[in-house]
Amino acid sequence: MLVWFLPLFLVLLMVGLPVFFALLASPGLMLWLGGQERDLVLLYRNMYNGMDSFPLMAIPFFMLAGEMMNRGGITLRLVEFAQACVGHFRAGLAQVNILSSMLFAGLSGSAVADTSALGSMLIPAMEREGYTRKFAAAVTAASSVIGPIIPPSGIMIIYAYVMEESVAALFLAGIVPGVLVGLGLMVVTNLIARRSEEFPPLKPRIGWAGKGRASLKAFFPLMTPVIILGGILGGAFTPTEASAIAVAYAAIVSLFILREMTVKDLPDVLLRAAIASSVVLLLVGAAMSFKTVVALSHAPEALAAFILSLSENPLILLLLINLLLFIIGMFLDAGPAIIILGPILGPIFTDLGVDPVHFAIIMSVNLTVGLATPPMGLVLFVASSVSGERVETIAKAILPFLAVEVFVIGLITYVPAISLAVPTFFGFL
Amino acid sequence: QDTITLRATANSNENDEDYDGLVVFKNYVENASNGAIEVEMFIGTQLCSAPDECIQGVADGTIDIYISTSSGLANAFPYVQIFDLPYLMSDDRIAEEVLTSTGLTDDLRRRILSDSGDTVRLMTIGNTGGWRNFANTERRLAEPGDLAGLKIRTVVADLPQELVRALGASPTPIAWPELFTSLQTGVVEGSKNGITDIMGMKFPDAGLQYMTLDGHAYMGALWIMNNERFMGMDDDLKRVVVDGFSALQQATFASPKRKSIEAYEEFVSGGGDLYVPTPEQKQAFQDAAAPVYDWFAANVDGGEEMLQNFRDAIAQAEESVNARRSAEME
Amino acid sequence: MGGVVAIARALGAVNAALLAVGRWLGIAAIGAMVIAILVQVFWRYVLNDPLPWPEEAARFLMLWMTGLVAPTAFRRGGFVAIDMVQLALPRLIGGLLTLVLLGLSLLVLVTAARIGWAEVTGFSGRFATSSLYYPTAEGWEKMPRSWMMGSILVGMVLLSAVAAELILRQIAILGGRGDDLPEIPMAVDIAAGAE
Ligand code: NA
Ligand code: NA
Repeated sequence: MLVWFLPLFLVLLMVGLPVFFALLASPGLMLWLGGQERDLVLLYRNMYNGMDSFPLMAIPFFMLAGEMMNRGGITLRLVEFAQACVGHFRAGLAQVNILSSMLFAGLSGSAVADTSALGSMLIPAMEREGYTRKFAAAVTAASSVIGPIIPPSGIMIIYAYVMEESVAALFLAGIVPGVLVGLGLMVVTNLIARRSEEFPPLKPRIGWAGKGRASLKAFFPLMTPVIILGGILGGAFTPTEASAIAVAYAAIVSLFILREMTVKDLPDVLLRAAIASSVVLLLVGAAMSFKTVVALSHAPEALAAFILSLSENPLILLLLINLLLFIIGMFLDAGPAIIILGPILGPIFTDLGVDPVHFAIIMSVNLTVGLATPPMGLVLFVASSVSGERVETIAKAILPFLAVEVFVIGLITYVPAISLAVPTFFGFL
Repeated sequence: QDTITLRATANSNENDEDYDGLVVFKNYVENASNGAIEVEMFIGTQLCSAPDECIQGVADGTIDIYISTSSGLANAFPYVQIFDLPYLMSDDRIAEEVLTSTGLTDDLRRRILSDSGDTVRLMTIGNTGGWRNFANTERRLAEPGDLAGLKIRTVVADLPQELVRALGASPTPIAWPELFTSLQTGVVEGSKNGITDIMGMKFPDAGLQYMTLDGHAYMGALWIMNNERFMGMDDDLKRVVVDGFSALQQATFASPKRKSIEAYEEFVSGGGDLYVPTPEQKQAFQDAAAPVYDWFAANVDGGEEMLQNFRDAIAQAEESVNARRSAEME
Repeated sequence: MGGVVAIARALGAVNAALLAVGRWLGIAAIGAMVIAILVQVFWRYVLNDPLPWPEEAARFLMLWMTGLVAPTAFRRGGFVAIDMVQLALPRLIGGLLTLVLLGLSLLVLVTAARIGWAEVTGFSGRFATSSLYYPTAEGWEKMPRSWMMGSILVGMVLLSAVAAELILRQIAILGGRGDDLPEIPMAVDIAAGAE
């Protein structure tokens, strides 16, 4: 009886109930119908306690830091820096878009923030230069998934939280995969531009003086990841505290160095971060209660047994799991998917000899790419609202980029060193 | 008669002594009740993740059985922190005698029942992880002075913090999942944990290479149960359950001893420095820790009385153990 | 239908006022969270004297921030959902489906608020927090856990009020009176998640 809450959940989600309510309503209704009203309190309590966590606090803080950087003109400086580096390439502004996403990823933990900050600046700019709107929106959406792969990362904070992994190790492990996704997107963009006549002409290379000026202006923003990772590795603060340091640093840079933000802007910046993080925290809480009922239904044991019955070869299982995750990523946000599936899938693969950090990266990157796939693609939604292009149209234009991202997921899956080399170098593994 | 299904949860994993205890309990109770009782185990944080939340679950019966450390119960029942009072019980044999053959557990059961409005019932007290020792990344701690200036991670509970402060170190609250990184990067320099937790979390890889076997606190495992659930059973089943908890207690006394052998070997073979303080040095630790007893008596409701009861129980246990020892040696 | 519009407008005005207060408190809370953690780092790393309270204080603030600000996100359309089915259906049926889904949301929220009340006033509300104190005439007292647990209860009550307002609005829209409703400022882009 209880196990019906899984299909019910999918149905409610598909007909348009917000994820937060679907996560609570489906198990809640099944408990109630099954005469287990007493257990409804377990749902509530796990929601509350799911949110009451210190490591999770990094999410509001990194959001706030990103919001401040954006308000403080830091985004613009990163874009100018990217322009100086790759602006003269074929499909230059598209390449700038991708590189900016990689740079922005070092400051922000969220693909959605990346899409909305860079998209609102670059999509109109690309249109003015003659790119189609759907291409501009697709490049923006596809590249913004790098945001939570290169540290900091909201998704990896959530993964570390539910799986009790080290946030620092996951952050370090995400660097190379994130850069790989970025490079892959740049290559695809180049290939598309070579085959099509519709792209704007090449722009002149920016001279060394221009490059120098752009680098100088981007210096303080680009120092953010150095401060975050340096502070963590140097023992000054924990990853959660690093997120608060990032806020302080962003405030100093925006208020006093770049002086594009004033104290009057603070309430609005704080509010935007508070609103966005309150939604995430509620989602995390709801996913934690959903997970409780998953456990009560003994679905994890059944699923684990089923997966192991398919094959005992970890390489084949990893392929199957990637397929499963990709499909789940279509319907579910990355955060709830990790909370619900991480504890079920993680132990299976750890037992088969896959390094926990490696598996964390496989799962995180796969579900992050899912943010750009319909029907439940947060990044697509935001790209659509920023550009005014329909979700379906962007979803079609994004396919070549998704293909390369899927290819990178394959690389990450079968070459563990891509994820593990950096954390190993710093002694975390 | 319907089968009674007991939902038991432990926030640890299947390598933990809590799990060993539960397996013994489940096996005993299901056999001895001839199937009238079924025990459903939820290991980890599937049903609840924080002690406060789990205790709440036991109080209202959404969870039937739960194991908590003394710090975990401290927010609800502060006096259980007697187990965090340092250097009172000298060794396993005394501790086990205190927990099996004195009135201490009954006393605590009465207090917890009354303070929870007859909802939470203490069933038994076993062990989880042996004894707490000081371990750190910097140097050998032979006497209390060696702790000076070290940042030692503790849970956010009063007593462990008071102890670390009394020994001249700085108690530093760090979330458990962040502890590995914090030790590695030097945010904190030490912790106070049992050996199996230290090895389970691979802390020596993070530089935790110095351990002093001061055994400052017995890691008591308090097993609680929803009282209504227990009282609702007939006497035959009640007897099965209390006997089951007694078997569980014995299992959790034994399991850490067995597990810690390997863990200590692994610690030493990994280059760890394991130091056993001399009796004089141990005395010095005890003297330095003295302010903690005063703090407990003054700041915890009913603390003075509880401390006295604990001391009496220990004295009684020492007496009976010594008597048996002499008999055994004759 | 005129009555529904009137109640929707009245409830909307009450919600707008309450949520405005919630937003200001939420702004203060997230700002104070940052300060608490900076204090924690400064005291531990610079002064070498770690403090016990900032972590729990910051969690306290984070929970209140969530409870007070999430209702604004909900009211402004920030709870993401797949809306393709609702848009693909004929207007009336799609509108009715929206109404049913809002009703289900309200059911969830009211149930949560009822449980939340029992939790705050019940046994575990009396537990003490680990490191938070408040001043009384007799000195510092440990803060009870109920003060922290109240955050999500308040959140659920406010969310229920928002859901009720949205239901009334949807009924008015279905009754052809949508134009008589004051607009709610939308902010989808900011509330779309950690991802
Ligand atoms: Na990032
Ligand atoms: Na998706």
